[in-house]
Amino acid sequence: MSASTNRLISRMSGGAATVRVPCRRSYHVRRAPEPPSAEISQLLASYAVHPPHPLTLNSLVAFGQPLIPESVLSSVSFVLSEIPRRLARRARALETLPFIVGTNPYVSRTLNAYRESFQFLANYPSVTTLEENASFTAELSHLVESHRNDIPTMAKGFQECAKYMSPTQISNFLDGAIRNRISVRLIAEQHIALSQALETQKHIGATSHYGIVDMACSPAAVVKMCGVFVSELCEATLGGTPSIIIDGHYDTTFAYVPVHLEYILTEILKNAFRATVERHYKLHGTASTRPVPPVTITISPPPSPSSPFLSIRIRDQGGGVSPTNMARIFSYAFTTAGQDNDDSGGGPYAAQHIGGSAAVGVGMSAGEGNLFGEITGKGVQAGLGTIAGLGYGLPMSRLYAKYFGGSLDLFSLDGWGSDVYVKLRSVDQAGNAQI
Amino acid sequence: MSWQCYYFHAGVRRPPCRSNKLGHSRSLSTALHFYQNRQLDLYAAKEAHRLTLRQLVFFGRQMDEDRLIKSANYVRTELPVRIAHRIRDLQALPYVVVTQEGVARVYELYWSAFEKFRRFPQVTNLSENEIFCEFLQNILDEHAPVIPSLSLGLSLASPHLPPDSLDSFMRRMLVSRISRRVLAEHHVALTKSLGKNSFNSHEDPHVGIIYTALNLKASIDKCVKLLRKRPRNAVNDKEESLFNRGWPEVIVDGHLDAKFAYIREHLEYILFELLKNAMRATWFKHRDAATLPPICATIVAGENDVGVRISDQGGGLFSAPIQSASDLFSFSHIRNATRMDDNRLGALRTASSRGVKATVAEQVGGLQANETERVQVGKDPEREAGIAPHQRIGLGLPMSNIFATYFGGSLELVSLDEWGTDVFLRLPKLGTNLEGIEV
Repeated sequence: MSASTNRLISRMSGGAATVRVPCRRSYHVRRAPEPPSAEISQLLASYAVHPPHPLTLNSLVAFGQPLIPESVLSSVSFVLSEIPRRLARRARALETLPFIVGTNPYVSRTLNAYRESFQFLANYPSVTTLEENASFTAELSHLVESHRNDIPTMAKGFQECAKYMSPTQISNFLDGAIRNRISVRLIAEQHIALSQALETQKHIGATSHYGIVDMACSPAAVVKMCGVFVSELCEATLGGTPSIIIDGHYDTTFAYVPVHLEYILTEILKNAFRATVERHYKLHGTASTRPVPPVTITISPPPSPSSPFLSIRIRDQGGGVSPTNMARIFSYAFTTAGQDNDDSGGGPYAAQHIGGSAAVGVGMSAGEGNLFGEITGKGVQAGLGTIAGLGYGLPMSRLYAKYFGGSLDLFSLDGWGSDVYVKLRSVDQAGNAQI
Repeated sequence: MSWQCYYFHAGVRRPPCRSNKLGHSRSLSTALHFYQNRQLDLYAAKEAHRLTLRQLVFFGRQMDEDRLIKSANYVRTELPVRIAHRIRDLQALPYVVVTQEGVARVYELYWSAFEKFRRFPQVTNLSENEIFCEFLQNILDEHAPVIPSLSLGLSLASPHLPPDSLDSFMRRMLVSRISRRVLAEHHVALTKSLGKNSFNSHEDPHVGIIYTALNLKASIDKCVKLLRKRPRNAVNDKEESLFNRGWPEVIVDGHLDAKFAYIREHLEYILFELLKNAMRATWFKHRDAATLPPICATIVAGENDVGVRISDQGGGLFSAPIQSASDLFSFSHIRNATRMDDNRLGALRTASSRGVKATVAEQVGGLQANETERVQVGKDPEREAGIAPHQRIGLGLPMSNIFATYFGGSLELVSLDEWGTDVFLRLPKLGTNLEGIEV
């Protein structure tokens, strides 16, 4: 018996001489968590064994053409088979992590969340009518919402497991998780958007939208919108903001998923704006009347078969990235904001969410539902959002850019500014891209 | 006599290559050649002694007779080691490649240089140093055809070599060549400035060939001026513009006062080539427009290096059949099919009879000769046939890349398809990086 048990017993017996009584109560701490129920394990195994149906963007978009009840219902059955498969793979991936990592509360919380969502969808009865579809889409929305914090939760957990996982392992795992999340959301949101479009199409008439794909997405319009948002954020946080100059081919349009473009541009503009203002203050003080140097965005001509990429260059005079930091800017949770490193790790991003202070979605609408707000509404103590400190902007933007075969590169002129080159493949050209 | 005269000297036409005679004598002596390789092995076994820019400056600053003699002997013993390494590299290439036109010639040149260096007696006084300097200049002149010959030979041999090994071989050859020229020219320049206090001159302080207060803006302006003086049809391809415009303007911004210590010739070559490409692309992309969009050059002085970003609106890089921007640095026709273009090969052949040193002065000298000859002679049939000095031989980018990376800098190109190209040049400014040659 342990010493503490002895003490407890002696106190109980009124401080008299220690009486050795075999203690019935067990203070043994269970070291290994409970295994999952047999039912869910079996279900998971059966889904995980079949790789997800290789899905192409073309096929996803095809559900909306034509937009009739039958195609929406076939979309539903597609959702009900493909999303659980993908969730199962995520759960499986988490289960294959080293045991000690799996016992981390953040990691295990995520695993449970995946298992629950998976179970919910795998056991969902088939949907055969539009009314059933309506309630299903509501549930689906809610489910996607509930997974909003997965990435920061996992990242926080991995930070705590830094001893047991190498940075490359962590980074590869997070890359896979984010890509998977993009796929799941793409499938889910496409279905939700199609369902809503079916309802409302009688009122609106033909649009260029096929669900979440906009065949005539205008980068200039997206830049302006994101620019306004980031400008306000910058003004509120730092007290000043650069202006935006858009040059190149202003009228270019291409087929893309606008929320993705918005996310990428917002993150890059946040970086550019913050760097520009901070450098301006450093050089000229906060009270200077000199204008803050602008951020210039150049848009290339529309993609064509001979040149299938749309290129956007964001050029700032924010002082550039120092050579030491260049190697790290695309790694997760690296940030130059708020240099004080708190021990809990994971960055302020992780801390804000795990603490439960739910992010208030910023009221930007990019189409059906507050999808934009969901992506970018992060720890919002100011009520607007944070301009920096998250450490995810660049790596996630790059993943989004690469998702349909594009790319994102940053070139720095250390001491002057940075150029970010975003190359995106028009989704009507990337129709065969797997998602 | 300043070292700049050396370049006008170099405009002298070389006698044509007597390949038949060489081939004949070679077939008799290949066995002998094989067994005599032992001499080479001795030198090749030594390691090359790499220097940093700072060491070159430091050593050259306090020049006196003793140090100059030391420098002469250093160059005398170091160069054959580096040449020996290159010869071994050539010997390792496939047989069919080295017997190819161009490469064979380079091989012979290298051997002859190696033998001459090996036999050159030690330098003990200033007059012997004079003879040594003359010897150095002669070797440099003789080796002027190396770059185009090698480029031609390797492009032709491209089917026999995988792109990676071809490019890395070419790179080693060119980097070593630059390094030997740097050592040789630096020594010759130090000899010439013995007694003069050029380090502390206010105008253009320099130590040997290293200019210690190079102002980037001034260099850019100089290159722009030279480029804009070219005649409008210097582009020399099919069309002329409908409008009578000149070349695009170059707007310079950033840290306009940035200064650093570097080999001026290298810096100016790189800037010249990059601006030349930018101007050409802009001209072509907007040949039907009334005005040309400007080119923007941004100078940046960072902590450890200086940078120049050149942005043009010339339509981007991918009109050529290449996969990625770095393919433009490749000599392999697999990566860059234009290497095998007939007019490209023809131009290289002409260039190899003339020699190419990869300097701005050489190109400008050619242009100036153009102007004066045109005035004097009227039409020149050679020019009419298109074999003019400014014919495109496709070496500008690869050479610029090698110059840039020689002391640890970098050159990167990014294309905004159908809009324009951005080029990022970075050169180290502390002078503490070792030469990028293989030991």
